[in-house]
Amino acid sequence: MGDARTRQIVRRLLLGAIAVLYALSIPWYRTAGAEPELWLGFPDWVAVAIACYLGAAILNAVAWLLTEIPEDEAE
Amino acid sequence: MSFGTLGLIALGFYLVLLVAVSEFARRARVDHTPADHFLAARHLGTFVLLLTLYATAYSGNSLLGYPGEAYRRGFSWIMATGFMLSIVVVFHALVPKLRPIAIRESFVTPGDWIRHRFAGERAERPLRVVIGALMVLALANFLLAQLVAMGHVAHEVTGGALPFAVGVVGLAAVILFYETRGGMRAVAWTDAAQGILMLVGLVVLLAWLLADGGGIAATTRRIAELRPAAVAVPDTLERMNWASTIVLLGLASVLYPQAIQRVFAARSAGSLRRALALMSFMPLTTTLVVTLIGLAAITRFEGLGAIEADTVMPRLLGAWAEEGPGSRAMAIVVFIGALAAIMSTADSVLLSLGSLIAVDLFGRPSGAPSTTRLGKRAAALVMGGAALVALAPPLTLWRLIELKMELLIQCVPAFLLALHWRRLGAAGCLAGVVVGTAIAAGGTLLGAKRLGGVHMGVIGLVANLAVAFVWSWLRPPDQPVAGPARSASAR
Repeated sequence: MGDARTRQIVRRLLLGAIAVLYALSIPWYRTAGAEPELWLGFPDWVAVAIACYLGAAILNAVAWLLTEIPEDEAE
Repeated sequence: MSFGTLGLIALGFYLVLLVAVSEFARRARVDHTPADHFLAARHLGTFVLLLTLYATAYSGNSLLGYPGEAYRRGFSWIMATGFMLSIVVVFHALVPKLRPIAIRESFVTPGDWIRHRFAGERAERPLRVVIGALMVLALANFLLAQLVAMGHVAHEVTGGALPFAVGVVGLAAVILFYETRGGMRAVAWTDAAQGILMLVGLVVLLAWLLADGGGIAATTRRIAELRPAAVAVPDTLERMNWASTIVLLGLASVLYPQAIQRVFAARSAGSLRRALALMSFMPLTTTLVVTLIGLAAITRFEGLGAIEADTVMPRLLGAWAEEGPGSRAMAIVVFIGALAAIMSTADSVLLSLGSLIAVDLFGRPSGAPSTTRLGKRAAALVMGGAALVALAPPLTLWRLIELKMELLIQCVPAFLLALHWRRLGAAGCLAGVVVGTAIAAGGTLLGAKRLGGVHMGVIGLVANLAVAFVWSWLRPPDQPVAGPARSASAR
């Protein structure tokens, strides 16, 4: 029971972190039209967006593995 | 051997293989029920489920439309990786609650959920028909986009030997044949093979493009020289559109009837959970790759028009094929992979269309073999109509996607809100859908696609949710909230 509750809390924290990464992926923090530097071959704001989506993908995969779907007992 | 001849042989071989798979699938069927035809008797395991979800989500839109849009918009199209991932994120709000009810109540179509959730309410039937009609419209639009993409690819892979119109009509006929014979089982098996082909082909194509362009940094610098705006930090309008597109695609795509039906078709909750965990990485291996392919095309083809930009992928493959026999063979593999992905999406859409029309619109029982027959005939009719329209494509592939999503997103309250808010009634939900759809459709008809970068469909959804919420709050459902339906589903 305690385990299930902990998993649920961790899952919600992961989903919250994904929301933060989504907000950060859009270059609100940069001046429109500015010429970017290249990071790993990409414009810097694109590299940040890719890093955010990679992080979100990892967190989302873990969140799915922690997700309880009630019919599990029947498996 | 010329590129066109090699392409024709590969295409012929691939189509024969598809027909053979459908025959195997037909022999593997358990019975003639809609659950067997439309859901493969709910026996899809993790591997096949992952690949069928993948091949269904990544379609002609992804392979032709997304590189085309990256070519038109530049690096801001990196948003596509985000919105494709958002679909797997938003599934958290749908799957854990819907899947157990779907299994217990033996759902076949999304409308079965509406019937179950709003059971006994007067507005249940009209709500189910309206939701069904929106989904059928969205799917018909989706089918149209696949047929257009199919025609382009078949034309290019055969070196122009197969005219666009023959590609559209001929391949539509093949899909109709194997889907009708083998149902979800044939669709899922062919999806699995098609998914692998697509994944391998795209990665090889990108590797060639980057190697040819001197690497990612050199390609980016070249794009900056040719089109500085494609590399510069996007303006506020584009950022608002980025956020709006993530909301639009994330919320609407989870309501794809064919995606919902795969949730119903999974063998077990564990299979589904593992498949969705792995699906989280697919935007990085596919959407990001096709975005980079579209961007690399800027350095090769300058000045393509809006509709023409949807052909950058076939053009790149054509250019690759001219480099020698090895690259010609690889280009054919990628072409067939792309065609496979497009056909796999079209077949999934067709399968869902049949079940939606028969069960949700015509109100036929989910368990009767006659429903399967009606579904097959309805799907054939829609396919014929879509093939005719596809002969003269009216819009870019991306605009077709946006229109579909703006309709589909209006179904969100009937699923996501209904699953999580017990008080939501059918009447309030119906009123919300009507208002939201009027705003989305009205905006499109008046030529106002977006307001401050935000899609009219997203604005319509906000109004839709507000109406559904206020109506249901002021006038609770006209039947007592009782029975297993609500107690299980609407907590």
